[in-house]
Amino acid sequence: MISLPPSERDLHAYVDHQLLESDRRVLETYLAAHPDVAAQVQAWQQDAQLLRASLSGALQQPANPELDPALIRQRIRHQSRRHLATAAVLLIAVSLGGIGGWHAREVTQPPMLPMADAMQAFRLFAQDGILPADYNTQGSGNMQAWLDRYFNQAHRLPDLSASGFTPVSGRLLTTESGAAAMVMYENREGHKISFYIRPPGPENNFLPRGSRSADGLQAEYWSGAGYNYAMVSPNDEPTARLIKQTIKF
Amino acid sequence: MHELDEQLRELIPRLRRFAVSLTRNTSSADDLVQSTLERAIIRWADKRLEGDLRAWLFSILYRQFLDAHRRSRRYARMLEFFTGRDDAQPSVERTVMAQSTLQAFDQLNTEQRALLLWVSVEGLSYKEVAEILDVPIGTVMSRLSRARQALRQLSDGEIASPSLRILK
Repeated sequence: MISLPPSERDLHAYVDHQLLESDRRVLETYLAAHPDVAAQVQAWQQDAQLLRASLSGALQQPANPELDPALIRQRIRHQSRRHLATAAVLLIAVSLGGIGGWHAREVTQPPMLPMADAMQAFRLFAQDGILPADYNTQGSGNMQAWLDRYFNQAHRLPDLSASGFTPVSGRLLTTESGAAAMVMYENREGHKISFYIRPPGPENNFLPRGSRSADGLQAEYWSGAGYNYAMVSPNDEPTARLIKQTIKF
Repeated sequence: MHELDEQLRELIPRLRRFAVSLTRNTSSADDLVQSTLERAIIRWADKRLEGDLRAWLFSILYRQFLDAHRRSRRYARMLEFFTGRDDAQPSVERTVMAQSTLQAFDQLNTEQRALLLWVSVEGLSYKEVAEILDVPIGTVMSRLSRARQALRQLSDGEIASPSLRILK
């Protein structure tokens, strides 16, 4: 119940239709008898009406397709997939480390098969295809420039274009020895070769040039410019031979 | 596909209008609406909506605007207004602004514009506005009263605009 004379708040509540019906009637009776207050209220009402009228045009803007909720929902989903990909990289970091450790225990001497992580990465990305790439060369991408952002003055990416292989995607990984990257080459037939680079680790395990095969994969490895490298491919394909020839610096 | 999308779609014109009244610039306003919709869609999952969807969206938009205001550098376009670099092109809202009530409205501070739009134009209740601003209803009413006086005086040309700019 409002009291008379009405407070300014009650007058505003009246203008905004926020008074109880009974209060509204009381106030209207009061206003009828007090033209000065009524004039004040009327001015506010008029301002509100004018504001409504002049802002109504702003509702008629042509639609902006960028604002469609379905599109925005889609964009959000893409973003969270990217976050998921980042999470997957962390997961892989753990499993590569784990495999390394497991090898170290099982094969007491030598402590660890060289570049086992490079081969494991090839299995995960080239064969299982479990993770979207961090970088693609579609369009005007430059794989070497991308790699140079993470590895300082490392050996250049081998040029396999004469054999039909070009770099198509890059992935960043973390390993026990530090940040690693794997660059995937592909030819027209979809055959894959990977280039793998990482630091030698805290004990500076630089590798003599060598190669080995395991579980159907062939790896060529070497060291230089402060990093360890490997090129991995399935070993039953002529690609293995190709790598051997390419990496004779 | 999503029932929320349909409701959002219906409210987009109102969100854009509110955003324009805050930013005074159509493209910044749409940026603001877009980030509001994003946030609403993300938050919708853990929200049990009591009350008005519109009021909830207004509140998100208003916060985003104030945040953007603070993190000014990341929102260069939105900031054009604050740095005084104005839209050269006549847009819908510019044309309409020619009317004197809107000219007066345009000179109010951010919160006063928001208040008047919510209450006088959109018809939100004092309680809804109090929730958006996170202040007591009494505070809403006294701020509304001040906003309305300011609009009245500006419409009558009683106060020169520069002195009012300092209000907040």
